[in-house]
Amino acid sequence: MKSPVILTSFLLALPLTGGAQQEAEPAPAGALPGEISQSEAIGTQPGPDRTLPKTQNPYGMDSNALAEGRRLFVWYNCYGCHGGRGGGGMGPSLRDATWLYGFSDQAIFNSIADGRRYGMPAWGTKLPAEQIWKITAYIKSMGTEFEPKAPPPNPVYPEPPPRRDIPRQQERKGAD
Amino acid sequence: MRRTRHGNSKGLGRVAGFALLGLLTLGVHAESLAQEETEPSAEREQEISFISDDGTGMRIARTPSAGPTGEWWLPALDFANSRYSQLDQVSKENVQNLEVVTTWSTGINHGHEGQPLVVGNTMYVVTPFPNYLLAFDMTKPGYALKWKFEPHPDPTAVGKACCDLVNRGAAYADGKVIYNTLDNHVVAVNAETGELAWMTKVGSADEGETMTMAPIIVKDKVLVGNSGGELGVRGWLKALDLQTGEVQWIAYNTGPDEETLMTSPDFKPYYAKDQGEDLGVKSWPPEQWKLGGSTVWGWVSYDPELDLIYYGTGNPGVWNPDLRPGANKWSLSIIARDPETGQARWAYQLVPHDAWDYDEIMENILVDMPWKGEMRKLLIHPGRTGFMYVLDRETGELLSADKYHPHTNWASGYDLDTGLPKVNEAKRTHMGQETYDICPSSTGAKEVFPSAISPRTGLVYIPAHNYCMNFQGIEANYIAGTPYLGADTMMYPGPGGYLGELIAWDVVNGKKAWGIKEQYPLQGGVLATSGDVIFYGTTDGWFKAADATNGEVLWKFKVSSGIVGNPMTYIGPDGRQYIAIYAGIGGWIGSNAFEKISADDPTAALGTTGAAANLKKVTARGSDVYVFALPEE
Ligand code: HEC
Repeated sequence: MKSPVILTSFLLALPLTGGAQQEAEPAPAGALPGEISQSEAIGTQPGPDRTLPKTQNPYGMDSNALAEGRRLFVWYNCYGCHGGRGGGGMGPSLRDATWLYGFSDQAIFNSIADGRRYGMPAWGTKLPAEQIWKITAYIKSMGTEFEPKAPPPNPVYPEPPPRRDIPRQQERKGAD
Repeated sequence: MRRTRHGNSKGLGRVAGFALLGLLTLGVHAESLAQEETEPSAEREQEISFISDDGTGMRIARTPSAGPTGEWWLPALDFANSRYSQLDQVSKENVQNLEVVTTWSTGINHGHEGQPLVVGNTMYVVTPFPNYLLAFDMTKPGYALKWKFEPHPDPTAVGKACCDLVNRGAAYADGKVIYNTLDNHVVAVNAETGELAWMTKVGSADEGETMTMAPIIVKDKVLVGNSGGELGVRGWLKALDLQTGEVQWIAYNTGPDEETLMTSPDFKPYYAKDQGEDLGVKSWPPEQWKLGGSTVWGWVSYDPELDLIYYGTGNPGVWNPDLRPGANKWSLSIIARDPETGQARWAYQLVPHDAWDYDEIMENILVDMPWKGEMRKLLIHPGRTGFMYVLDRETGELLSADKYHPHTNWASGYDLDTGLPKVNEAKRTHMGQETYDICPSSTGAKEVFPSAISPRTGLVYIPAHNYCMNFQGIEANYIAGTPYLGADTMMYPGPGGYLGELIAWDVVNGKKAWGIKEQYPLQGGVLATSGDVIFYGTTDGWFKAADATNGEVLWKFKVSSGIVGNPMTYIGPDGRQYIAIYAGIGGWIGSNAFEKISADDPTAALGTTGAAANLKKVTARGSDVYVFALPEE
């Protein structure tokens, strides 16, 4: 019989260097009890609210970074699983308002770097942080006016959903 | 027959009775239908009977492996993949009275492809991932659950499955229900107790392999194949020992003859283009065959007289054709093999150097019938390419290839002397260039959803759909366990204002007899019965019965979710005929009904969202089994 598969977590091993990312020493393997993870929690916190520091995507909506993010999204075959313009397929849509693992810059970064349970590969050991941030920036641009290579109109679904409105989404409570 | 082993109380007389009824009232000959005793399996296959019809001259071989008339032991009912049932209580005269007997949820809201099995008084249902096997006691009102087998597949396989988490069903033999899990395990479960008999891992999800096809069991061998043609895997068919699960042979579909099992002196491809040494290597750029796809995720057929198995292979690895110059053997091929050794007897590549992602894993329907004045052993393959291929299954000769999908434009026809398609070069896709209006799209003129045939009408009933596409070859980067496409594709409705059609195809005359146009694509299989009724379901959730002779829709019922499963029929413990179908949208096109696919990206879901995002408006996820019957008298 099979043993359950344990997805290796790259949280502690991930070198978060490069780019404008805040400098952090890679934590030693098997961090001491009580230390707060580099990674942002996916769930709600028990007890009173205590805000963890959030890491912002250093590239924002910089058009060069977005174009490069788009190129990398294709080159690393993200498009095969997530749709030619991120609309979903084997993996979930990245251009809709639903997030399984959080919508903050850090949460998207972590989804890419660490992998996710149902078949999202962990890219943290393959891609430099700078590339992951550029892809993150591209994902955040989907459905906005900044999106490079936006999708062509859908011939059988003429009413496209309203464009994503970044400020509103960031205010939204929940998955983040 | 293993009836007694299951403590089955159902009388044999019932089965024989119905066979007899069929014989008398409908003129269908059913010779030596019910075989009495349990023999060693090898001998068992020798007992061949034929279902035949004097009018059409068609005959279909049946062996005891299909189970007694009134049960359903193999995915396609029989080895011939006929999906033709001799049951006739439900007929075109009374089908409009059908009503729901029971319905229940399997609890798994993903594409319910495939069909249940019925063995004795038990119905077996395999669910999509996590691939439960559910056994239901049909003697209890509403079909009580007897047991549930949980194989606990690895969740990482979920992300590797191209087209939802589907499973196309199980097969029964020797007291075991056998099926494949998404994470590449073949499991054999004791049909009585629900305990695991054996489990064998045959592929690797890390490399991009998954398994979705339904096995067949030929003599003492379980035949299974892999999925993953979108992730640069290498396609194979494997034979496992029915008793132990040990792998007996592996036939790859790409690579050297040693590994494709094409070394026997009896290996004689019919056409010159398919003859030569190590074509599975030489028809590729160096090493590319290792990523060459050509998987086996559809149906396997078996001819007990010729003792040959037949299956079709999927697309070649990397979709972008310019990255793999050559014929790319044995992608898009039909291969005949000896089930004992796996050695190939013949192989025919339907389309060399695919440029459209046309998997040819479709059903191969095996019938004998008069062909141009002579009785021939035919293999009928309704192609994804839009052509209906009719082959001589002894030799692999292509007898005809007619367009059944009217808008097919990637080729104008076939040269029967060379076996080659006459490709329309304007529709051949290339790197860095967008090719417009290719019909059919990669999803084909039909998908993996199986046709049925009726010896009474001589017609093949094809669940077809009508989509075209734009296709652009782009750069590709092989990373194990991720998609290996090199293509930006977008599909959309073909001309004519309809998306699906149930096509009744006259095999001998090579033309459409009639069709039933559907607003939504057909993504489920067909059942034909000797009551001259055909059953099929639509992706917007209508389950329909039509007159097998003229296509008049006689009855329809709206189920809970879009249908991507295959109807089946059986005799229940009370001697009545039942018809079962799954309602649970999903699969490749069907996944466009899911919330995780965004309608504003027509290139999503591997290019199908442009064709099928409107499914969201008419259906939603489901997981139900429906059972129908005529009202009790
Ligand atoms: C082999 C298929 C596959 C590939 C390749 C892949 N993903 Fe994923 N991805 C998935 C699946 C499946 C999930 C959902 C995982 C889950 O539900 O646990 C996912 C989840 C995600 C999420 C989280 C979405 C959410 O709703 O929270 C992000 C972000 C993401 N992927 C980005 C990417 C990027 C960027 C790439 C390329 C570097 C990529 N993925 C490559 C299959 C894939």
